[in-house]
Amino acid sequence: MDALLKEIDKIEKIASSSSSKGKAPSMIESLDSLLQTLRNTKAQCEAGEVPVSQIMQLPSAVEKCKKDVDDRHKEIYSSLARFGKTLDKKFTNPLPTYSDLFSSKDSVNALERTIALHFLRTGQFDLAETFLQESDATIPPEIRSQFVGLHEILKALRNHDITPALEWVQQKRTFLRERSSPLEFNLHRSQYIRLLLASHPPNVLPAIVYLNKSLRPFYPDHVTEFRRLCGCIAYLPLSRLQESPYADLASPNLHFDLEPLFAKEYCASLGMSRQLPLRVVGDIGGGGALARIEKGRKVMRERKSEWSQTDELPIEISLQPENRYHSIFACPVSKEQSSEQNPPMMMTCGHVISKDSLQKLNKPGGRVKCPYCPTESLVSAALRVYF
Amino acid sequence: MSNKMNVEGMMMLEQPFLRVPYENYRKAFRTSQRNVEKDLGAVNAMATDVSKRVTIENAEPADTVNAIDTMIARVEALKRKLSDLQETTGKPAVNVLRERVNHVAAMEGIQSSNSPEFDRWTDTRFDRWLVDWFLRNGKEKSARHLAQEKHIEPLVDIDLFMDIRRIEDALSHQSCTEALAWCSENKTALRKIKSTLEFELRLQEYIELARARRSMEAIAYSKKYLVSWHETHLDQIHKAIALLAFPPTTTCGPYKRLYDPSRWSNLIRSFRLAIYTLNTLPTEPLLHLALYAGLASLKLPACFDHATKNTDCPVCDGGSSEGLGLGKLAAEVPFSHHVNSTIVCAITGRIMDADNMPMAFPNGYVYSREVLEDMAAKNRGMVTCPRTGETCQFAALRKVYIS
Ligand SMILES: [Zn+2]
Ligand SMILES: [Zn+2]
Repeated sequence: MDALLKEIDKIEKIASSSSSKGKAPSMIESLDSLLQTLRNTKAQCEAGEVPVSQIMQLPSAVEKCKKDVDDRHKEIYSSLARFGKTLDKKFTNPLPTYSDLFSSKDSVNALERTIALHFLRTGQFDLAETFLQESDATIPPEIRSQFVGLHEILKALRNHDITPALEWVQQKRTFLRERSSPLEFNLHRSQYIRLLLASHPPNVLPAIVYLNKSLRPFYPDHVTEFRRLCGCIAYLPLSRLQESPYADLASPNLHFDLEPLFAKEYCASLGMSRQLPLRVVGDIGGGGALARIEKGRKVMRERKSEWSQTDELPIEISLQPENRYHSIFACPVSKEQSSEQNPPMMMTCGHVISKDSLQKLNKPGGRVKCPYCPTESLVSAALRVYF
Repeated sequence: MSNKMNVEGMMMLEQPFLRVPYENYRKAFRTSQRNVEKDLGAVNAMATDVSKRVTIENAEPADTVNAIDTMIARVEALKRKLSDLQETTGKPAVNVLRERVNHVAAMEGIQSSNSPEFDRWTDTRFDRWLVDWFLRNGKEKSARHLAQEKHIEPLVDIDLFMDIRRIEDALSHQSCTEALAWCSENKTALRKIKSTLEFELRLQEYIELARARRSMEAIAYSKKYLVSWHETHLDQIHKAIALLAFPPTTTCGPYKRLYDPSRWSNLIRSFRLAIYTLNTLPTEPLLHLALYAGLASLKLPACFDHATKNTDCPVCDGGSSEGLGLGKLAAEVPFSHHVNSTIVCAITGRIMDADNMPMAFPNGYVYSREVLEDMAAKNRGMVTCPRTGETCQFAALRKVYIS
C-alpha cells in the first residue's frame, strides 16, 4: 500500500497547476510562458514593428511548450503505470462470476426482507424507512414496533436508566429463568455499583438499601457474586477499588455489556438469533471464505478431478466456535458426513463411527472390533446417537 | 482457530474498490492528453503558417496580430480546459484513490479479527456492500442515505452507477443516443476488450428505421454506420439489408427475431457488461459474492430439518422449512464440506471436547457433560432429555468418544 501511496503523491504533485518547486515547470506554467511569448510578439506588432525573427521562432516556441507539457504527462503516465502494476500484483485472481445468483423474484424478495430487518434490528429506522419505500419488502408493523421498543430500552441503558429494561424483564421473568439468564441480576448489579460510586466522599447507605431490596432475592443463585458485591464496599473509593481484587466491578464494561446482553435476550424472546444473521454470513464470506472456495475450485480444475458433488464445496472452510450452530459428524473411518441413511452409531466401547463403516467392519458372528480401541462388541449392540 | 485475519482473502473483494477510481483517473488523464495533442497541434500549425506568411508573403501587421490573437485564444482555452479537468475530475479522482488506498492499508494494519478496529472496518465494508447493492438495484435514495449517514461517499461509486442508470434508462425507453455517446468516449477501451456493443446499438437504430418502414433512411444509415463492420459482422449486415424486404409483422424466423422488442433488454445487458468490464466491476454485487461464500460455509443438511434447526443459525432462518430470508438464498448455494467432526451441545450451543465430554442418554440423545451435571445437581441426580423427555440417573449416561 505504501508503494501505491507514493505514486499517488507523485501524480498529485505533477498534476497540480501551481507547485513548481521542482526543476520542471508545471503544465500551466509552460502554457503561461507560451502565452507570454505570444502576447509579447503581438504587442510589438501592434506597435507597428513586426518582429520577423521572433515570429520565425514561434513554431519552435510552441514545440518547446508542447514538449514540456508532454514530459509532465509522461511522468504521470509512468506513475500510473507503476500504480497499475502494483494493483495487478496485489490482485492476481479476478472476482468470480456466479451468473444470475440471487436474481429470482423470490430471492430478491428474501434479500430485501433480510436487509430491512437488519436495519430495524440495528436501530437504523430512518434508513429502513427509505429502503422500504424503494423496495417491495413489507415488514409487519408489530415487528417494527418490537425493534423500536428494543432500541428505546437500549437508549435508556446507554443513559444509565435501567427502569425500562427492568419493566421488560418483569414481563419475561419465566422465559429468562428457563434460560438461566443473568440479565436481571446484571441490571441490578450495575445500578448498585453506580450508587456505590456516586457519592464523594462515599456514602454507602443508599447502595446497601438497594442491595438488600433488589439483589438479595438473587442470593441463592448467585452466592459468590453476591458476597463479592458486599465485600467490595471495603475498598472504596473508586481509585482503591480499581487496585483491589474487585477491580472487575469498577470496570465500565460492567455497564456497557448490559446493552448487548439485553439485545440478545430480547431477540431470543422473539425467536430471533443472537447475532445479526446478515452480518455473520457477510463477515464469514468476506473474511476469506470466498477466496478459499475459489482457490479450492481452481485446484480441483487444475487436477482435472471434476468435483463429483456439485452441491457441496470441494474444501472445508473452518469456522469460529461462535459460528458452529450444528453438530457435524464425519465418520473417522470413511470420512463421510453422517446422514439419515448413514447415521452415527456408538459401539459399546463408546466410540462412534458411521453405520456404513460399522457394516463394513462386521465380522462373522455379527461382531465388530473397534478400530480405535481393541474392544470387540456385537454390531447389534451399537446405539444410534443423536447430537 | 486463531483470530488472525486472512488479509489476502479479504483483499480479494477489494479489487474493484481500488480499480474504479484508478480507471477514473486514467480517463481524466487521457482526456487531458488528447486536449493537449489537439490544441497545441493546431497552435503549432498556426505558428508555422504565420511565420511563413510574414517572411514569404509579407503579411499585413493587422493580419499577423489577428493570427496571434487566435493562437492566444486557443492556448488560453486549453489552459482553462486543463485546469477545469484537473479541478473537476483529476483532483477528486486522486483524492478518492488516496482515501481508498488508506482505507485498505488500515485493514492490513489491524492485528486481530477480535479487535474494535476490525469491527469498525467490517462495519464500513458492510455499508459499502449495501450501497453497491442498492445502486445496482436502482435504489438510489437508499444508497445516498446510507452513504451520507455513514460519511462514506468517497468509498462508494454513486456517480458511476448514476451514469450507468441514466444510459440504461435511455435504452429502456428505446434510445441508443446516450449509449452510443458512451461508446465513442470509450472507443479504444471497447476495442481492446473486443466489445461489439457499438455495432449492436447501430444495428438496433437501423432496425427501428426498418420497423418504421423508412427504407431510404435505413439504407443511408447502413452505409454510414453498419458497413464499416463488414469484416466481423458481414452475416448480420446482409441480414439487416434483407430486413427491408420483410414487414415488422413477418413470421420468418431470423427477421422476426430482429424485430423482436426484447432485443432492447439484451442491449441493456450488453451495455452493462461492457461498462462493468471497463470499470473492472464484478458482474455480481459484492454483497452477493460475500453472502454466497458465507452461506456455503455454513449450510448443512441439518439446516433444513425441523428436528435439527437452530434459531441462532443464519441458514436455518426461523421456523419455516423454506426460509423467508437467508435460508431462501441458501437454496442457491452448495453445502459446506467437512472431514472433521464438531459436536455442538443442543442445549448450550457450546462445542463439546475432552474437557466437556459428550454424554449419551440410553436412547442415544447426546448433550454436554457440564449441562447434564448442572441438571443432575439441581434434580437430585436425575437428568431429562429436553428433546425426547426421557429421564434417567446421571450415572446411567454413557460417555461418547468422537475420534
Ligand atoms: Zn472403541
Ligand atoms: Zn443451520
